[in-house]
Amino acid sequence: MTRDTKIANDTPPPAAMLSNKHLLGIQGMPIPEINALLERAHFFADRPKTLFADVLANITVLNMFFENSTRTRVSFELAAKRLGASVLNISVNSSSVKKGETLIDTATTLNAMRPDILVARHHASGAPLLLSQHVDAAVINAGDGRHEHPTQALLDALTIKRSLGKIAGLKIAICGDIDNSRVARSNLYLLSALGADVRFVSPATLVSPYFSEMGVPVYTDMEQGISGCDIIMMLRLQTERMEGRETPSQHEYFHFFGLDTRKLQKAAPNAFIMHPGPMNRGVEIDSKIADDNSKSLIRTQVELGVATRMACLEAIAGASTRVRI
Amino acid sequence: MSKTLLKNGRIISPSDKLDMVGHILFENSVISSVEKDLPPEDKIDQVIDCSGCLIMPGAIDMRVQSADPGAEHLESLSELLAAAGNAGISQIVSLPATTPVIDSAVMIDSLRLRASSTHGALLHLYGAMTQSLNNQQMAELGMMAKAGAIGFANGVVSVQDSLLMRRIMIYSKMLDKPVIHHCSDAYLDKDTDMNESETATRLGLLGSPAIAETIMLERDLNLASITGCRYHAAHISTASSVEALRRAKKAGLSVTADTSPAYFLLNDKATADYNTAFKLNPPLRSEEDRLAIIDAIKDGTIDSITSDHHPIEMDKKMLPFGQATAGASGIETLLPLAFSLYHTNDISLTRIVTALSTAPASILSLETPKLASGETANISIINLSSSSVIRGTNFLSQSQITPFEHYLVDSKVVGCFVHGISVML
Repeated sequence: MTRDTKIANDTPPPAAMLSNKHLLGIQGMPIPEINALLERAHFFADRPKTLFADVLANITVLNMFFENSTRTRVSFELAAKRLGASVLNISVNSSSVKKGETLIDTATTLNAMRPDILVARHHASGAPLLLSQHVDAAVINAGDGRHEHPTQALLDALTIKRSLGKIAGLKIAICGDIDNSRVARSNLYLLSALGADVRFVSPATLVSPYFSEMGVPVYTDMEQGISGCDIIMMLRLQTERMEGRETPSQHEYFHFFGLDTRKLQKAAPNAFIMHPGPMNRGVEIDSKIADDNSKSLIRTQVELGVATRMACLEAIAGASTRVRI
Repeated sequence: MSKTLLKNGRIISPSDKLDMVGHILFENSVISSVEKDLPPEDKIDQVIDCSGCLIMPGAIDMRVQSADPGAEHLESLSELLAAAGNAGISQIVSLPATTPVIDSAVMIDSLRLRASSTHGALLHLYGAMTQSLNNQQMAELGMMAKAGAIGFANGVVSVQDSLLMRRIMIYSKMLDKPVIHHCSDAYLDKDTDMNESETATRLGLLGSPAIAETIMLERDLNLASITGCRYHAAHISTASSVEALRRAKKAGLSVTADTSPAYFLLNDKATADYNTAFKLNPPLRSEEDRLAIIDAIKDGTIDSITSDHHPIEMDKKMLPFGQATAGASGIETLLPLAFSLYHTNDISLTRIVTALSTAPASILSLETPKLASGETANISIINLSSSSVIRGTNFLSQSQITPFEHYLVDSKVVGCFVHGISVML
């Protein structure tokens, strides 16, 4: 693997400084702050995991997951614990918080317990913003509806940067259920901001025509779409956010939009495959590809998720401390 | 090598901008010359005198419901293709409302394979828009397109769910295939027997208003406008629908439409004695509607003319009007009835030939029908001055119920070639 000189750090990079108290999305985030987070995450990733156990010693992190999650919740929990924070996990039954008032009520109750950071995942787009308006703690968006998943985009960028040495100039295809994907949106904003050539590949029923209007190249033919691409990022068919009528069947979906060996031949010779997980094998990705460690960065993504979230928690803790002072 | 000469006919081919009296020579499946001057007749195997006849590119019927699979006893696929060829139609497109429904690549494959070894008209297929025509879940449109479906249709079932229809249109556009839709608002149309009219009131039958068609059409046109889908409105029957189509075309939408002889030759008064042969879907409309349909054919608002062939069991017609099944045979009367527009309504032969060949080919992206050297010898020959009376019992097909029983027509199909082979029996 090659390394970008910019993040091949000999002297440790400082903790990222963010201008916002909350981390709600990639959209609107200044590029230097994105780079600072990536550099710090890269630094964390290469150091022993016990080295930073006092960084967030007096910080309380509350994981509030209004939507089921394993990897993201565990990733945030590990990140917080490696930085020495106190972590509490609250799994909230999503049916009890369907209304805005209830979400605010929950937030108000929790706020009274004075946490420092709320890590929130919610099935409704915009819920973390609403939460941030009603609590004193800093809010990190751990994925909201179809809107954003900023830490996923950051860890994806870090994975790409560490694997290919750069992001600028890379051809990156994000493939699958674009409309229902917060990962697609956050990655679009982040990777394009860092100079990648990002395109979407999706059945026409799963990609809003407004993405084209936003200037994103959209392909409905997968072989054309991934042609010459350095990174193929596959997305999960988000059946929980679909009414089941966007595509005819999983059988047809895999035939036209599933990543298999034949379609992969169209990509750049050393192309890498990514997937935010969890995967639907045989729906959007062939097992042979998913499990091929010479091509797949899927495990690396999970691994770097912790370091990335450490960088985010550290930066947000710093920002919230500054605000409080 | 087999050479056939069609001598002395009036050759009309809209895509060649051709209308002249002349001769067509073809060898095997390919046309070798289309000339005003008679080629030397030696070395020609077959000479057909076409004096007084129209020679046109092989007719294409883009709306046919095959009874096979599911009701082969009524009309098998081979009977249908033979009957079509014998009626001057070189290509037909069959709807998916068979049993089982044509909603998978396997069904398309199997029917195409069966048709490939059958003498007669060529068969094309529409795939079902929804699985089992259930109007709930999109069928595997991509797999069917790959297997050779040339468009997507839903028989006489309208997709009521606008979101589903929008997605079908977006998906079809992605596949570059047209969506062929029967327009009817299910609530306005529910349990109705015929057109809402004075006749219906007198007969005590429940009427479906003309707007039941137009409301659905207008919805579709709006969806076509935001999706950019190639949309085709099937068997249009009302004046208000014609108006909607006219507006949509003027606005530049990729919209086309067809109608069938019943809607430009008959009106709802025909049902006055409860004759179930006149029970069709859409129902026969008012005289004003009928005249509007003729105008729409004339000015091209309605692009093509189709048979709307739909075999129905006799048992299902020998019932009180309200309980009888809608539909009738149409394939063997399409050409004579379409050309009656030339005899009685002053519509040009070129316009009728367009509606029967080049228009459906263009709508469905089939090979452009041409009569020129090097083109495929798909040719229909019609004698325009040969009167006869339509009788269902004369049909080749077992499906013999027609609303045109005893109807007088002035033209007769006298020849039909598919890939240079005569398919007239």
